[in-house]
Amino acid sequence: MDQAHIRNFCIIAHIDHGKSTLADRLIERCGAVRGAAREQMLDTMDIERERGITIKMTAVRLSYKARDGGVYELNLIDTPGHVDFTYEVSRSLAACEGALLVVDASQGVEAQTIANASLAMTQNLEIVPVINKIDLPHADVARAREEIEHAVAIDASGAVLCSAKTGEGIEEILEAIVHRMPPPSGRPDAPLRALIFDSHFDSYQGAVAYVRVVDGSVRARQKIRMMATGSQFEVDSVGVFRPSLEVGAALETGQVGFLTAAMKTIGDAAVGDTVTDAERPATLPLHGYRRAKPMVYCGMYPSDTDHYEDLRDAIEKLKLNDAALHFDPETSVALGFGFRCGFLGLLHMDITRERLEREFELNLILTAPSVDYVVHRTDGSTLHVANPSLMPPPTEIASIEEPTVSASIMVPTEYVGAAMTLCQERRGIYRRSEYPSPLRVILHYTLPLAEILLDFFDKLKSSTRGYASFDYELSDNIQTDLVKVDILLNGEAVDALSFVVHRQFAYGRGKAMVEQLRKVVPRQQYEVRIQAAIGAKIISAESVKPYRKNVTAKCYGGDVTRKRKLLEKQKEGKKRMKQIGSVELPQEAFLSVLKVGD
Amino acid sequence: MNPLAVYVHIPFCPSKCGYCDFNSYAMQGEIVERTARAIIREIRESPWAGRPAKTIFFGGGTPTFIPAPLLVEVLNAVTDTHPPLPNAEITTEANPGTVDASKLETLRAGGFNRVSLGAQSFDDGDLVRLGRVHRAGEIERAVRAAHEASFDNLNLDLMFGLPDQSRAAWRANLARAISLEPEHLSLYCLTIEPNTPFYKLHLRGELPLPDDEQQVAFYEDCLERAAAAGYEAYEISNFAQPGRECRHNLCYWRAEEYAGYGPGAVGAVRDPALGVRVRTTNLKHPERYACAIEAGGPAAYESEPLDSATLQTERVMLGLRLAEGIEVDGLDEGALSRLARRGWIERDTGRVRLTRAGRLFCNDAVVELI
Repeated sequence: MDQAHIRNFCIIAHIDHGKSTLADRLIERCGAVRGAAREQMLDTMDIERERGITIKMTAVRLSYKARDGGVYELNLIDTPGHVDFTYEVSRSLAACEGALLVVDASQGVEAQTIANASLAMTQNLEIVPVINKIDLPHADVARAREEIEHAVAIDASGAVLCSAKTGEGIEEILEAIVHRMPPPSGRPDAPLRALIFDSHFDSYQGAVAYVRVVDGSVRARQKIRMMATGSQFEVDSVGVFRPSLEVGAALETGQVGFLTAAMKTIGDAAVGDTVTDAERPATLPLHGYRRAKPMVYCGMYPSDTDHYEDLRDAIEKLKLNDAALHFDPETSVALGFGFRCGFLGLLHMDITRERLEREFELNLILTAPSVDYVVHRTDGSTLHVANPSLMPPPTEIASIEEPTVSASIMVPTEYVGAAMTLCQERRGIYRRSEYPSPLRVILHYTLPLAEILLDFFDKLKSSTRGYASFDYELSDNIQTDLVKVDILLNGEAVDALSFVVHRQFAYGRGKAMVEQLRKVVPRQQYEVRIQAAIGAKIISAESVKPYRKNVTAKCYGGDVTRKRKLLEKQKEGKKRMKQIGSVELPQEAFLSVLKVGD
Repeated sequence: MNPLAVYVHIPFCPSKCGYCDFNSYAMQGEIVERTARAIIREIRESPWAGRPAKTIFFGGGTPTFIPAPLLVEVLNAVTDTHPPLPNAEITTEANPGTVDASKLETLRAGGFNRVSLGAQSFDDGDLVRLGRVHRAGEIERAVRAAHEASFDNLNLDLMFGLPDQSRAAWRANLARAISLEPEHLSLYCLTIEPNTPFYKLHLRGELPLPDDEQQVAFYEDCLERAAAAGYEAYEISNFAQPGRECRHNLCYWRAEEYAGYGPGAVGAVRDPALGVRVRTTNLKHPERYACAIEAGGPAAYESEPLDSATLQTERVMLGLRLAEGIEVDGLDEGALSRLARRGWIERDTGRVRLTRAGRLFCNDAVVELI
């Protein structure tokens, strides 16, 4: 296939604007999947389906006979739809020449629409606006068009109108892809350069790299080198996505497909890395490689300490398929042996936990998430602290830096006040506002990363009746006045419950945390005193009264099975409890800090 | 053949009490006799026919809600099917408001030798609130009538921890019960069961129940006053004069076999075909139960084979309720020593039993041991 008949494109949209449905229609129309269309074909993992989001992107090759009579190879590259995965989005965009910018005709432009569109523009993609859901009764095409022009700053006069639901406009979209998006323009004779934009791990073939061939070509038996990591492999197979993997002879310049090369870990096929020919290497890699950097850390411990090895094996297995997951062994006085794990965001953390529990049948205790603090000590040394319990005593700290994000929040004008108040409460620094349309404002803030980890987005949504959208990217560290708050149970500090907070909020958070714990700590045979402390100073205290009896009054022949099942259930519940000193804590106690509102 | 305990469930009550989650119905008319006939048929067609009865117990509901001759007919079906061992304990539960001397005489003559009276409280305010149909005065009359009918083995059921009940009120109740000199006392802490009117009230915060602390104090009163009057606390909620323990209920707590007849009745009998004990539960609703029996089908809608691990769990759960305790064999030593450290159990001669302190945490002890 010559490059002139190849189009590589992606679909960018705000969540729920119909990206997956549109992808399904395009796939259907081009006959890539025969028989009954499976809804939202690109989202393959169960958890993705349940949550209605795309975590793991994939690609599909479509064959389209255009109105001009030519047959085109269209590669649709899917992108993840959540702020946690911004870097992965940028790599999949880099594999394309064009992007369909999908805007819901009833919702208009939202924060992610803009964030992803500006990413696409930085990659010099040809953006074709698509106004979707025009079948809805409250669709407002004119307003959507206006917002695209104002907020995204692209010409929306040629926006394609469609309804992915009814199939209207699908043909026009395919024509726009063929005629408005440029073909790839790589050099077929140059040394191989292929961008890895995604990967997955297969237990038989090792890491499967999803590549976009930029220059040259790649085929089986070829020796290749990863330019960032320097490792070399021999290609086992190459092929394309239909959307299942289909082995072929070669991937030529401009094409999108996969390659396997007995790569033992997903790190061997690092997203963003450039594949080149080992014997005839390119001089320069494709630009934009970045090592996936965790934003959030938490401790993960098996609730049964005997399962430490199982947990390690399970995390290692997940890591095979998730280059962004970081982990190091750590120990906790309260919880024993476990791991400090790094994630791209809370969603990533949650999905990882869910997969470990579901796929590996582990019972886990997660400690409160923390960011990576940089601590300058009085002795001049510098320390990274991602585990609050390892924060040095105040006397040894000269200063602490914490990571921040630049956040953009789009809200209808009537909610600007509410959104700004929330940002202020979360120690936000106001940067500027934009007015993409008369009814909408984009607020730009610098916010401490730690502040948005908690319930920021939920709070934002509730204070704006769900209208706000939110996007962020990591920014610089700033110096802050932070303190560590310890939580004591019956006088003993529980390291896994410590958290770091701005001094100004220490009292309020400490109190809220103690109250939350009082709600989740079950009554025990002894009184449980719960205290929050900064150093030796107690800032809040509560207690859980003991229960004085736990006995069934009546138990006769007819009750036996039911009573037995109740006790068996209690036994199961007890297994999920963690004995901390004399106190039994349920798993959720360790995540109490997440539930602490202000 | 091995003897077993026989339970017969009479699922009718004059009205349904607010705390009750038993299988009982405030029904009248033709269904009552029809159900009794179905029970008789179920008993006569029992797969366990021929196995002697160690004990027989008629519970409910209110067995005495149905005419005494009919109840005796049901008993005859039982004794025909399960010849009672000599001196077998044959109990019927009774509501003090549904018995009189002649009824009790008929029952005594028909073969019953023990009566368990649902007294619950000697305070009419309590009785009204609980939804009971009888009044305090009727309890004493019923006891006298039972004695006149030459019943010499009586139980009184009492409840404590009632809404707004004070400790003094409970002590007064207890004293009055003891003054009637029943051979046996069942003293239950009111338990709020799901799917009862009390449960709904409780959720709405409209049931001013004594707290844990007070309930424990009420229970201490049971232990002390009963002991002082010569009753032995042979089970968590059951007290008896020496030799007057309820032998039928002991079968449950010792995890022995029992057959169950009647709507919603539960049995646990070794099935010779399967080689394991099977717990069966009959259809609960009288109408559906009667239809099933009349159609010649089985009355059971649920059956649960009890493997040895499950049986062991039940032995622990039930046996720990008894003052005699359970055999130590097969129990986890680690768990035993944890419980001993808390002062909840004591051991001797190969048995383990709950201490007085341990009784209050019986469920925790069981959870440790299973």
